[in-house]
Amino acid sequence: MSCREHDGRPVNPKTGEPLPLRAQPGYYPGFRTLSQRDFWDQATRNVVLARVEQIPPIRFFSPEEAQLMTAVCNRILPQDDRDELHKIPIVNFIDERLREDRLDGYRFDRMPTDQEAHRLGLQGIAEVAQHLFRKPFVDLSPLDQESVLKTLHDGQPPAGHTIWERMPVSRYWLLLVQDVVGVYYAHPFAWDEVGFGGPAYPRGYMRLENGEPEPWEVDERRYAWAPPPGSPSAKFTPVGGSAEHKASPGQGGTH
Amino acid sequence: MKKPLLGAFEAPKHNHMLGAMQRIEVPMRRYRNTEQVDYCIVGVGSAGGVLLQRLARAGFSVVGLEAGPFWDTERDWVSDEAGSHRLYWNELRITGGEDPLALGANNSGRGVGGGSVHWAGFTPRLHPSDFRVHTEDGVGVDWPISYEEIKPYYELLEKEIPVSGPAYFPWGDPHGYPYGPHPMGGCGDILIKGCTNLGIRVSIGGPVAILAGSHGDRPHCIYRGFCIQGCKVGAKQSTLISHVPDGLAHGAEIRDHCMVSRILLGKDGCVTGVTYVDSNGREAEQKAKAIIVCGYAIETPRLLLNSACPGHEAGLANSSGTVGRYLMAQAGNVVLGRFEELVRMYKAPPAHALTEEFYETDPKRGFARGFAVQTVGPLPISFARQMMVAKGAWGWGMRQVMMDYNHWGAIALLGEILPWEDNRVELAAERDRNGIPVAKVTFNLHDNDKKMIEYGKNKVMEIMQAAGAEEVVQEARYAHLVGGARMGNDSRTSVVDRFGRTHDIPNLFVCDGSVMPTQGSANPGLTIQALAARTADYLISQRDVALTKSTRGTKQPPIRYDLSPPGTWGKGVPRFT
Repeated sequence: MSCREHDGRPVNPKTGEPLPLRAQPGYYPGFRTLSQRDFWDQATRNVVLARVEQIPPIRFFSPEEAQLMTAVCNRILPQDDRDELHKIPIVNFIDERLREDRLDGYRFDRMPTDQEAHRLGLQGIAEVAQHLFRKPFVDLSPLDQESVLKTLHDGQPPAGHTIWERMPVSRYWLLLVQDVVGVYYAHPFAWDEVGFGGPAYPRGYMRLENGEPEPWEVDERRYAWAPPPGSPSAKFTPVGGSAEHKASPGQGGTH
Repeated sequence: MKKPLLGAFEAPKHNHMLGAMQRIEVPMRRYRNTEQVDYCIVGVGSAGGVLLQRLARAGFSVVGLEAGPFWDTERDWVSDEAGSHRLYWNELRITGGEDPLALGANNSGRGVGGGSVHWAGFTPRLHPSDFRVHTEDGVGVDWPISYEEIKPYYELLEKEIPVSGPAYFPWGDPHGYPYGPHPMGGCGDILIKGCTNLGIRVSIGGPVAILAGSHGDRPHCIYRGFCIQGCKVGAKQSTLISHVPDGLAHGAEIRDHCMVSRILLGKDGCVTGVTYVDSNGREAEQKAKAIIVCGYAIETPRLLLNSACPGHEAGLANSSGTVGRYLMAQAGNVVLGRFEELVRMYKAPPAHALTEEFYETDPKRGFARGFAVQTVGPLPISFARQMMVAKGAWGWGMRQVMMDYNHWGAIALLGEILPWEDNRVELAAERDRNGIPVAKVTFNLHDNDKKMIEYGKNKVMEIMQAAGAEEVVQEARYAHLVGGARMGNDSRTSVVDRFGRTHDIPNLFVCDGSVMPTQGSANPGLTIQALAARTADYLISQRDVALTKSTRGTKQPPIRYDLSPPGTWGKGVPRFT
């Protein structure tokens, strides 16, 4: 049905054809938050530009772990539709957080440290991949990799039980996903993709209602977009599967 | 315009800015550690900032010890979600129980200004009924004070902050606000539309601690939406910008990066000072005639428990065994709705419209007390993490829903969870980087709480649907923290008296959210600051008596209108009752 080399690329739902690689996916063509950098205050500009230009080296994860973690991150937050120049590095920033022991201010009582949780989780993922496909995770096709991760999302990994006894699988899943999205959506390329205006001090916003763009923002231009056919991550199902009703308390402050 | 006319914006040359215009000019007073100051304040946050300012203005010698930094907002704060990580209390805490609380960015500040640096800024008052929930509903506990006793302090702080909001706020004790309401953003429009279609009254443009007009050297809001990342503009109030500068100008000292590890007790049963780890990692001591702990609902109990000593084996001021108990968070379920049209909810303050129509007990609902409904405006990282739970999004599903970020709006429940003895702060086996045992927080929802959350969550979803959302999802979460050192008249069931003085030790006080016996469905920031001003008036009215051994005044002191920061005089809060 789909060509192998396009496995893992979004498609035009009308034609089924894979969409071309883009510098900037999303519905806001031509919108670049970085083009507004001179309008930002200096402290913000320093922080955001450092994030874009200074990619921290991998020091916490071993080379094998880093390779596996990269493959995992590529499925938690797939970037197969981005051209090489515009892919957002993920693992390096998670590695930096763990190495610097930058915590979120708490740890669930049944969880090990964040560092240990990430190491254990990678072992667990490797074991599930072996169990399901008899291959290392990194050698699997994108869709098979998703199938492996889906078992964690559903709270029912078929292997690695000693690991999940030490660490509830749903808590690990949420830690992993929140770390990955925390890196991806901190990047200006991701802001351009979702149409977020980015830093706005000292200039501020003035068009607050009806979704109107600022003079320097652009309007939405939608096009037909669908996830890769057969992708398990394209279906929205509860974390922990239907058996676990209890949603975990969220992270970011919103009140 | 591609570039600013005069080139890229640069950092101001002045070396300590608070907001875009305010500067700290005065050289800060420095007390010697061996000098016995009148008051040592542990934690310069919402309550500590107000206390420090009041006591200094009244002529006392005051040192504030703050675990985090004394922010220069131009240098330290950024208009960026991930870059604002340092504003929160990110040190290790253990969280558990049946319904464990997320801490850190969700509810815990660090640095001068404390939680008021990263609050969204909603400033509703508690309702008169909140002070007697046990009498009225047979749940929780009554406060040792009435609404009438705190009302003048609500009015005073609403002027000092100053609060923007409608001229007529209809719930609880109806009143108005000194500054006009803010314009609406996308989420406010959604709340108005949903509520209006259902016949629910809604307050728009406030009450929020965000300036709708300029105030002295603080400019008005620029609607950039980064309130909870710290307001670089200086429009949103924090005690860092509203009270601390005036405190310093009147001789107070703030020692930042100083983590208090222990309160020291003298042979006469009075506290004599504190031990702390300073910015160089060295242990030091500060002597004081009285100590006020303002560490908020987790660090305050932690410090009291960590200060256990002979005669106080269970922790200081803990003869009742209630230190750390009756911890509360509010239910904060976020309801997200996708709309056909664009919303762009990152613009405008997250906090700008609310309804308290469901605040009071309604026997028909089958549970005691109630909830409020408020706007929130998650930025992309927060929104993605909410979608991770609300829709179970990851992989291509996450990419897809995030590409529609601008089509989503968010409003939230703010529901009253009752005080329960088993919701508590204890000491964990783990220690922090200074070797101090960290807090272990246990949280369980009880039957009344679960019923309230179920009803409230469905009501908020109904409002979202009535606003025209084509898809509505929700994420369970909690907001705010109070309790843990509650006030009461009975020394067997509470930690402090009605003025914040510990029952056990005459010169040890607690003043912060932890003294609240119940929490209502109002964001606690205004109440915490009002309680601090009231405690300050009490201490000032007692003068030296408050600093000595045994005498304990019990009369409500006269309110001191002359101790407000500059710019308060001449403003008014409309009264309707």
